[in-house]
Amino acid sequence: MNQRELKRMDARIRGIKKAAQELKERHGGIPAVERNAARILASLKMLEINISDLSAFLTPR
Amino acid sequence: MKKSGYEKDAYWNFIVETLPPEKLRELQVKKFRRIFEWAYEKSKFHRRLYQEAGIEPGDITSYEDVSRVPRVEKAMMRDIQRKDPFPYGDALCVPLEEVTEFRQTSGTTGKPVYQPDTWQDWEWWSEAWAYLLYAQGYRKTDRVFIPFGYNIFVAFWAGHYAAEKIGCEVVPGGVLDTEARILKIQELQATAMMATPTYVLGMADTARKKLGIDPARDLTVRKITCAGEPGASIPSTKRRMEEAWGAKVYDHVGATEIGAWGFECTAQPGGLHVNEALFLTQLEDVETGELIEEPGRRGKIVITALDRIAQPCIRFDSKDMAEWSADPCPCGRTFRIIKGGVVGRSDDITKIKGVLVAPSAIEEVVRSVNGLGDEFEIVVTKKGDLDDITLKVEILPEAEGHQEAILTELKDQLRLKTNLGYRIEVHPFNSLPRYEVKAKRFRDLRKHE
Repeated sequence: MNQRELKRMDARIRGIKKAAQELKERHGGIPAVERNAARILASLKMLEINISDLSAFLTPR
Repeated sequence: MKKSGYEKDAYWNFIVETLPPEKLRELQVKKFRRIFEWAYEKSKFHRRLYQEAGIEPGDITSYEDVSRVPRVEKAMMRDIQRKDPFPYGDALCVPLEEVTEFRQTSGTTGKPVYQPDTWQDWEWWSEAWAYLLYAQGYRKTDRVFIPFGYNIFVAFWAGHYAAEKIGCEVVPGGVLDTEARILKIQELQATAMMATPTYVLGMADTARKKLGIDPARDLTVRKITCAGEPGASIPSTKRRMEEAWGAKVYDHVGATEIGAWGFECTAQPGGLHVNEALFLTQLEDVETGELIEEPGRRGKIVITALDRIAQPCIRFDSKDMAEWSADPCPCGRTFRIIKGGVVGRSDDITKIKGVLVAPSAIEEVVRSVNGLGDEFEIVVTKKGDLDDITLKVEILPEAEGHQEAILTELKDQLRLKTNLGYRIEVHPFNSLPRYEVKAKRFRDLRKHE
């Protein structure tokens, strides 16, 4: 996998994270939204470990 | 990508699993500094420990610097528990309401250590197991049977969720007895299984003797992941299991406080890969604490979980002993290999029936039961493939009329404090050996080879 591809994946992960964080904060008083967004963020961390940490490390900005 | 004859889909994450070793070390140091900083900022326990040692996150700039960070021992974790925030104490790095999982160690080496995890940590547990199961050939097409009593011990919980994450179909074999489990494996044509070596052999024995089923011929399990005992890294035991089941048997190593940090891959290189994506594992000389990097020299395993956040595991003194292998693995992973798996412990704690036991824990029980004499003897043997533990005790002459009640209390306390069942032998008072200097009350007569 080339570094550009890795960076692209990282950008998508950051995009999902931003969206999930916003959803978690603006849950409209619906626990089902707040807690499921929290779970998405927990799972997303595994993508960060597997991709983003490596992207930042292998392709320093 | 085909560096080793293995395609990239042979790895859970081919990028990190095949990084050059020097790059892996760099990544680990970077991640170590991050978790160290996290613990330093969030936990009074860790900050106190590090301030007393005069070290802070900015001091970590190299792999060697990591060794300057004080080790954490299990006893230290026990000491802070049952305090605020209850019940974990001040090593907790997240608000209590973010803790979603409770597990504890077996307590056989003393008081159990509590382990809080957030949902992110729980995802991380299954991620670590996903690396290992994928390396052992688990795929979406597998139907995985887990003959495990799901309880407060972490054991195969994470294996269950990791298999799900990979896409396997998971069959929880929870409270079924051994015969029912074997029949369910047969009925569902399960292809993989996870259990302790003792139980893997015990199941095969039960299948043959009680059900007339030959697991190798009549069942479809073709890979077995072991944990809890060193058996799957002991060649003769591994061979027995593989022959009994007609399956590949793979080892893995982990601990409640640490995570699943090492695994055998399908190449079976005669050792376990350390998962260097998620853990930083160092071997240190038992006497001097000197870092051991060269193969062939045994040292104590000191380990850091690089991404675990609720109760971080930083430079945990595992008490396990190992040595690095000199040979690269044909699987192409650059994760280092500990030769022959974990080869022992740096103290006298031993594993019986998959449970860690300290003779001192048994002594404590025996001596807490009124009516028992001071002397006792523990003898561990192998009956067939199973561990057998005999506890010899004496009843005080004045208590002989209460023998039944005394033995009932003894058995209850032993099961409660050590999680093991014993064969109890009552010997005439004053007949067991008496010692003047170093007592030899624990005899382990098992032979692994």
